[in-house]
Amino acid sequence: MSPNRKFALSYSYYPGCSLHASAKEYDVSTKGVFNALRIGLKEVPDWFCCGATPAHNVDELLSLALCAKNLSLAGKVEGDLAVACAACFSRLKTTQHRLKENDIKRKQVETAIDGPVPLGKKVKHLLEILAKDFGLDKLEGAVQKPLTGLKIACYYGCLLTRPPEVPELDDCEAPTIMENVIKAVGGEPVAWSHRLECCGANFTLSRPGVILKLSNEILASAKDAGADCIMVACPLCHGNLDIRQEEIEQATGRRYGMPVFYITQLVGLACGVSPLRLGLESMIVSPAALLREKNLL
Amino acid sequence: MSRIGVFICHCGENISRTVDVERVAQVTARLPGVAIALDYKYMCSDPGQNLLKKAVAEHKLDGVVVAACSPRMHEKTFRNAARAAGLNPFLCEMANIREHCSWVHEDREEATAKAIDIVKFTVSRVKKDRALAPITVPITKRALVIGGGIAGIQAALDIADAGHQVVLVEREPSIGGHMAQLSETFPTLDCSQCIMTPKMVDVANHPNIKLYTWSEIEEVSGYIGNFQVTVRRKARSVDEDKCTGCGVCMAKCPQKKIDNAFDRNLGTRPAIYVPFPQAVPNTPVIDRDNCTRFKTGKCGVCEKVCGPGAIDYGQQDQLIVEPVGAIVVASGFDLYNIGPKPADSPYEGYGEFGYGAIPDVIDGLTFERLASASGPTGGKILRPSDGKEPKQVVFIQCVGSRAREKGISYCSKICCMYTAKHTMLYKHKIHDGQAYVFFMDARTPGKNYDEFWRRAVEEEEAVYIRGMVSRLYQKGDKVVVMGSDVLVGVQVEIEADLVVLATAVQARTGADLLAQKLGISYDRYNFYSEAHAKLKPVECATAGIYLAGACQGPKDIPDTVSQASAAAAKVMTLFAKDQLEREPIVARVNERNCAGCLACKKVCPYGAVEEKEIRDRNGNLIKTVAYVNPGVCGGCGTCQATCPSKSVELDGYTDEQIMAMIEAL
Repeated sequence: MSPNRKFALSYSYYPGCSLHASAKEYDVSTKGVFNALRIGLKEVPDWFCCGATPAHNVDELLSLALCAKNLSLAGKVEGDLAVACAACFSRLKTTQHRLKENDIKRKQVETAIDGPVPLGKKVKHLLEILAKDFGLDKLEGAVQKPLTGLKIACYYGCLLTRPPEVPELDDCEAPTIMENVIKAVGGEPVAWSHRLECCGANFTLSRPGVILKLSNEILASAKDAGADCIMVACPLCHGNLDIRQEEIEQATGRRYGMPVFYITQLVGLACGVSPLRLGLESMIVSPAALLREKNLL
Repeated sequence: MSRIGVFICHCGENISRTVDVERVAQVTARLPGVAIALDYKYMCSDPGQNLLKKAVAEHKLDGVVVAACSPRMHEKTFRNAARAAGLNPFLCEMANIREHCSWVHEDREEATAKAIDIVKFTVSRVKKDRALAPITVPITKRALVIGGGIAGIQAALDIADAGHQVVLVEREPSIGGHMAQLSETFPTLDCSQCIMTPKMVDVANHPNIKLYTWSEIEEVSGYIGNFQVTVRRKARSVDEDKCTGCGVCMAKCPQKKIDNAFDRNLGTRPAIYVPFPQAVPNTPVIDRDNCTRFKTGKCGVCEKVCGPGAIDYGQQDQLIVEPVGAIVVASGFDLYNIGPKPADSPYEGYGEFGYGAIPDVIDGLTFERLASASGPTGGKILRPSDGKEPKQVVFIQCVGSRAREKGISYCSKICCMYTAKHTMLYKHKIHDGQAYVFFMDARTPGKNYDEFWRRAVEEEEAVYIRGMVSRLYQKGDKVVVMGSDVLVGVQVEIEADLVVLATAVQARTGADLLAQKLGISYDRYNFYSEAHAKLKPVECATAGIYLAGACQGPKDIPDTVSQASAAAAKVMTLFAKDQLEREPIVARVNERNCAGCLACKKVCPYGAVEEKEIRDRNGNLIKTVAYVNPGVCGGCGTCQATCPSKSVELDGYTDEQIMAMIEAL
């Protein structure tokens, strides 16, 4: 199989389960942006769950094998592997890192999936593709409707840059890649304190109280820093900050009304992708009023 | 026929466990030219050495092979024994059957065969050894001390008090080093300035000390007893002889907004300045990078106001060559930088602490300046951001230290003590304030040290929290400290007014470059290496160079002063002799064969090869040949390998000897 040859840049694409379910708008907007920027994207056939957070808590071999099998499927599609979800990104990179340094584990996993693991296949987060491969200059050139006046709290969460030796995306404690992308499309990143804190992740199901505390701190910190909205690159963070926002407001009595965008939604808006192809309607906290105020709709 | 004695050591069991020493003795006894071969449990012991001496006399030996450990360990011991028995010591050679054989092999048969081979070829070598006489070189009885902190000051004063000339070189405008920046010192809380400045004045007034401040080491050549050191005296732009130190120039300088590095950039200073009021010498220097006169040519106020006319804008750097016999390196340390990574630093800094971007997050040395009576706040502890008195201060230990992932795995040794001191100084000045300390371990070995730390906890009410801090961030006018208390097993969050980081002690930036000039070795952290961790803690492997203070590794003041005095004692020991004996393992030129191509001169790493003119009795030049200065020759043999006509050879390692050793196998 070969990716679409009419594009200078093209990638194999691993959406991950969320992007086919709760985070459909991330998938839709990713495709929208890549299409607008003329970057090829070819979904890996027959991909399945990377194991996310549950698998590696239960059985390391299982968690490695799930990712290894997906990597092996991705190996059949040309181009570096583009990943949207921060958790999938982290798991796939962790698997490569772990198997590179440990021969015994690698052999076990190869036995389990009945084939070699393509450890050389480059796994890249969308951010990396936009900021580095496509390039900030070109991105700036592709802007049709700059996000002027939109104050954005860029939220990395815990997985995108950590642990330091795995993602190789940016400085693990003081990254700037999201802010750079936002500046390139004309937005105003705010300086705030909770860019790298944990939102509570999948405690959202087992111990929602944890989310109320942790995600509240993130929303409060963004609000206090003067942000109009938050930008994320992870479906789990999105779920906690967007879907749970009303619940948090009820619990704390503080009103945030803070839309939570995926990075591709904001970049898409700026690059002239039709709002209908960005899944804005799926957001629980509606961005309509904010975007109208800033003349972006 | 030679009469060689072979002495095989068991080294307890170190050798005999793997090597059949009796068999080595039996086999080597039958070698041509060997008069006697015997083995003994400890050849280096008194009875062992006596065995050797007796055999030399009884068998009229003309050469000795001791098959034992490395020559680095005991060559001297056995050569002395040979000398005592009336044999030229350079006819005694070691055959290393321990490090090169028994320690690295397991198979007894093979190890024994190898030991026999080693003894065999050493016997062949000894047969061709020449009797050599030690080389004596004169000693220049002057010492160079590099660095004018407490280590350099102490070493300089000790050597000078013993009656020897000392050249003290300091790269800053004043001596004093880090100690002059401290407020009080542990474990007695005496004022650092009060105990330091008298010593600084002693240095300035000492008739035997020549002080070069604002100066750096440019080049070092020569060898023990005979170093030539080129010192670069950076242009001060002020004539030291004319300047009276009145300070009018500093008061009138219109450019006063330059960060004062001595005060850790908390205050400012003029472009013409002394780093601090008690500076020695009290002669200002013009900071040319920031001086309006040097930047635009449009000032000159200091020149106008200077009564004695000491200002000299045209001054140039001066290079001065100082002959010295010994060098004490006391170049000190730097602190780990938590800010953005400087280009010349191997360490990344602390992103989780905001890379030093939060104004009220400071390091320990900055806190010293805040607490110091001569500091920018006059000794009031006020935080940098808004000048308010901090009511909650969090101290964090081990920032950079003991953190392999941040590049440093060693303990910086002084931080536990100075952090305890900081909590006390804070409590003494702000009675209603609360100090918290995050620590991994409290390491307080030292006289009265643990008592001092306990006092901070038990009497001065510092709250010690065992655990590390994961993150610092600004929230309003507070700094939020997120950490863990691992003893209780909870997460801790403190909203602090000021955070003080006990940053790691690291080698001076550029320490490696100075080491390369001096030809001394340094470790992976650029700390200078002592010759032996336990038994030669102040000597460098390079003869005639000694270490003092934190340039060798993190040290507190008492340890630094002890080591400085020890280094000074070593220098005095060297200076107690008039002549220095050196091993005569040096290269010799066969002047008859030498064609004078001087290829050897080009390759000699020591600069030991000179040109020598050979003249007849009427003074007519016959030819020019190479000459090796035995005082400078390092005995490496590079010339021997290079010489196209085989006219230069290293004594003890001649081509003839090496060939004989190979043939013996």
